[in-house]
Formats: sequence, C-alpha cells, structure tokens
Amino acid sequence: MRRFNTLLSPTFFSSIFAAALITLWAPPVQTAHAQPGEEPEMTFDEDEADEDSEMTFDEEPEEGNEDLGDEDLGDEDPEPDPDEPEPELDPDGDSNAGGSAMADDVEKVAWQDIVVVVRKPFLKINRMELVPSWGVTMNDNIVRHFAFSAAFNYYLTDVLAVGLEGQYFVKSLREPFDLVARQARRLPTVNKYNFGAAINFHYIPIYGKFAVLDEHIISWETALTAGVGFTQSEVIPRDPVMQPFKNTLITPNVGASMRFFLNRFITVNLGIRDYVFVDKFEAASRTEPDGNLAMENADAALINNIMFQAGLSVWFPMSFEYTTFR
Amino acid sequence: MSTLMKTPIATLALGTLVLASSALVVPALVAPNEAVAERKGALDDVPAVRHRLLLVKKRFEVGLASESTINADFRHTLGAGLKLEFHASDLLSFGAVGIFGTSINTGLTDKLLSSLPEDDPSPTNTDAEPTPTQREFEAHLNSMPIHGAAYVGVTPWYGKLAAFGKFFVNFDFYFQGGIAFAQLKSDCNSQICDDSTPTGGLNPEGQVILPDNNPNDDPVLNEGFKAGLYLGGGIHVFLNDWIALDLTVRDYLFRDNPSGLDFDADLAVTEDDNRFLNHLFMGIGVSFLLPSDVKRTP
Repeated sequence: MRRFNTLLSPTFFSSIFAAALITLWAPPVQTAHAQPGEEPEMTFDEDEADEDSEMTFDEEPEEGNEDLGDEDLGDEDPEPDPDEPEPELDPDGDSNAGGSAMADDVEKVAWQDIVVVVRKPFLKINRMELVPSWGVTMNDNIVRHFAFSAAFNYYLTDVLAVGLEGQYFVKSLREPFDLVARQARRLPTVNKYNFGAAINFHYIPIYGKFAVLDEHIISWETALTAGVGFTQSEVIPRDPVMQPFKNTLITPNVGASMRFFLNRFITVNLGIRDYVFVDKFEAASRTEPDGNLAMENADAALINNIMFQAGLSVWFPMSFEYTTFR
Repeated sequence: MSTLMKTPIATLALGTLVLASSALVVPALVAPNEAVAERKGALDDVPAVRHRLLLVKKRFEVGLASESTINADFRHTLGAGLKLEFHASDLLSFGAVGIFGTSINTGLTDKLLSSLPEDDPSPTNTDAEPTPTQREFEAHLNSMPIHGAAYVGVTPWYGKLAAFGKFFVNFDFYFQGGIAFAQLKSDCNSQICDDSTPTGGLNPEGQVILPDNNPNDDPVLNEGFKAGLYLGGGIHVFLNDWIALDLTVRDYLFRDNPSGLDFDADLAVTEDDNRFLNHLFMGIGVSFLLPSDVKRTP
C-alpha cells in the first residue's frame, strides 16, 4: 500500500499527462525503442549507452532488489494502469515530431527527461521453484557419488528464498580403490551415501547479464546457499563377511550456484555445494561381524562432500506480472 | 581395463555435457518466439550492445596465474606461473600458459604411507611380501614441477554483473583448447628401483632372467616430458579497463601413471601402465590487458 500512496506525486502526473498528449496528438513515430508489447531486455542496449557512453548496467536498484526499486520510484511515480498503452516518444527527444500545434503548449519531453527503470526480466518474489538436478562428487578420490536431487524453494523476496531438498545417491568406486588394493595391499575404508535431505536458505547477491556472440542478451544471477539437514551413510565392509552399518548424520551445507534464465518459468542452474558431516567409518581393526557392535567402535572423521550440481528449475506460477512502471 | 578411461571419459563427458547444455540452452534462450519473430523493429539488425567496451580485442593479456589440482589421487600439484595471450579479435585469441608447481601428498597417500611397513620384512624373498615399503611406494609417485599449454581461445560471452548492488563490473566467459605439456618427475633411486629387468630377459651371458614379479623395485616410467590435450575455460572479471581477475578450470590430458606402480596387473612396471589421464586444475590469477587504453564499439 505504501507504494500507491507515495507514487501519487505531481511530477508523475505531469509526466503522464505530457506523454498522453504526445500519444494522442503526435502521429505514430517509428522509434528505436522497444515495440509495443515487446518485453524489454535488461538495460544493455543503446538507449543507456547513448546516455553515458558506457555499456550501461543500471546501477539503480531495480534489478538487485525489486522492492527497493519500487521505493525509489515510488517517491515520484504512481502505479500505472497495466492496460494503459505506453507512450511512444521520438528517440531524439523532440515532442514536436508530429508537428501538432498542441505540442507548443506541452513541456518538452525527451528520453533524458523521463526516469526509465527497465524492468527485471524475471521476477521471483512469491513464486515457487521446483528443481530436479544432478550432482557429482568433486573431492573424493576413492568413491564418487552421483546425486539425483529435487528441491523446492519459495521466494520470500526476489533475492531471498527458503526451500527443501532431497537427494538420492548412487556410488561409483574410482580407480584408486582398486589400485590401493592391488598396489599397496591395503583395503580402503569407504562409506557410501544413500540419501539426504536439507532445509536451505538462498540469497542472491550477484546478478548480471551477458551477450552471446554480440547478438543476444542473457540474464543470470549467483545464489549463495546455506542450510542444514541429514545424510544417511552406509559402511562398505572391507570384508564381505562383516555386516554393514548405517549412519544418520547431521549435515550443514553451504554453496553457490549460477542461474541462467531461459524464459519466464524455466532456468538452468549450475553450482557447487559442500555438504559437511562427521561420518563414522569401519574401524581399521574391526573384528566383530555384527554391524551394531562395529558402529559402537567406529572411527569418526569430518567429511566435506563437495558436489558439482546441474539442474533445471521450473517456476510456479509459470508467469508473472509486473507491478512497476515500465 | 574398463576403469582405465573412467576418469578422462568422465571429465570429457562432463565437459561435453556442459557444452551440449550450452548449445541447447543458448538457442533456447535466444530463439525468438513466434510472435516476436514476426515483428520487425528498428533494433532487429543492430548488435545487442552498442558503445561496448572492447576489453579484449586487439590486446595482449599478460597474467599471473596460480592453480591447484582438484581431486588428484596421490599428489596434489600447487603451482604458479605466467599466462600470455593475444586476443586477435573480440572472439578469437591465441595464448600459452606455463606453471611451475610443487607437490603435496593427498590424504589418501598420507594414510597409505602410515599403514605401510617402513622396511621390507623379507628383502631377499620378494614373492613372500608384495606389499611395498613406505620408501618404495613414495619413491614411485611422480610430481609435476612444470606444466602448461598452448591454446586457441574463444570468448563468446561477455557481460556485466552487479554484486551486492554496489559493485558493477564487466566480465566474460572464455573457452580454450589446445596442446598440453608437462614435465613429470619421480625420485626412485637405484637402491629402491634396482630391478633392471622387470619383465625378465637375458643377461650378458645369454642366460634367461626370470621376472621377479615384484613391481615395487621396478624402475619408474612415469617421468619425463609428456604432451597431450588441453581443455580450459574461465571467467575474466574486469576490475577496471585493463586489470582482470581470472578464474579458470584447466584440464591437461596426457599419458601418466601417478602411482608409478603396476597398473595392468602383469606384476611389472611397464610402459603399458601409463594411461591417458586428465589432470584437472582450478586456478585464480590476475591478468593485465595491454595496451591499457580500451576502445568502444560504435
């Protein structure tokens, strides 16, 4: 509600009035600006470049924090009617382009006279994200785990989310597992991971956009993640006669990921996550076949299970509407 | 033998997956939908970005590089060196990187060494104890004091990012491919590696020498110059017009036998124990792009 109150400023009304007059009286002018109905890209375009001769990236807060952007705009600009057609302006800033006599009475309007905050290409606030993903261990030279995961995140703001994730692991013994046995005559002590789950918090401090081959612009962002959950690990006995035993481990995690925006409801995520836990391994001197007894005598060690993750996010609702002035 | 190629194939597969994903993702990202495709606007034939800073085009890149192996089996390599690159265009570049490295044992190696015997309990009977001693095992491990690559690079993506709403910087993604090289070294002296005929043979008198079936005293064959394939990628984060933070992932693929012991279970260390392995590094560096003046696109 605050936005509606503060946006009702005389400046905004005068701007709208001038723009409306131009729209009504001036003949249509083909401009270099976005076509009606076209979604603007992030401000990586010529309009800004013309303003400050910099490959501009709005240093206004609209992209990093939609709410903040609204507040800044809110001091001057009221909420427009979403159905209201947008004014077309002469890119040269000449409001007399149509040659109308009325234009003489209208305060001159040019691009530089209008505060334009290009809208974010993707809104996340109050949306849910379903993330099926795949991951692989990066830092274990004995056993590699592939993780098949699903996560569900809810965005409280455009930069803050809370979510749940679940993982199912599949192990793959690596080359040194065999080499150590054959070359050094030692059997490695190895645990495999069965599954895990966590509650996570996500914060998005970095956002950006890049051009592909100087033709297309893609938006992306970086998210930092921290959470806590559990992992179930299972001992792979060195001697098959021995019983395995399972551990349920409290598992904090931290990580970072990049998200690339495909459209309004699909993003591609790539990231690295460190799952930290104190695992219990089969004791080097184990003699007891019973798994419970072996667990009591297990050796503990701090483990950083660092995983590379790749996933595809599907967002719900699958579209969104802008509430800010275009 | 199926395990021989697991590591390089996995990495190549991962790289291929990433590239394939990019190939799929980028067209999906950039493909206009039907409605948009029908519109013809004034911006249709202009570049996506105008007045863009040409941060790499026609510039030399001189970089201080550092990198470390990821997930090495027996010895990590930590290194620092120099990167030289000429960006012939905004997209294409040619360069080389050379790294001087030092090695440290991985956790696996430390655990193994602590569990291996210090001395051979039956030195005269090699068949009785095939377990290597600490010195035998460690002496066969190799290190990588020098490595590098010559490559062709492409920089297809460039952009800007904002961090914490305060720091706005240019960046680009680049990919490299080329030839890798490495100088490998191991320290197995004649007291440890004293078997001159690991697979048997004939002595000067023409008598047959049977193999001792003990690879732990065989000479190492995992040292010397190696050449192979190089794949890399990374991000330049431009701190200003001519200084950039360089974050990289580099993979040097060449034939190697990091443990230096018998791999193919023929009880002798031979050339066949070398296999095509990937040596994956992550690095960080600082690049200086010269000349320091930067141009803009129209």
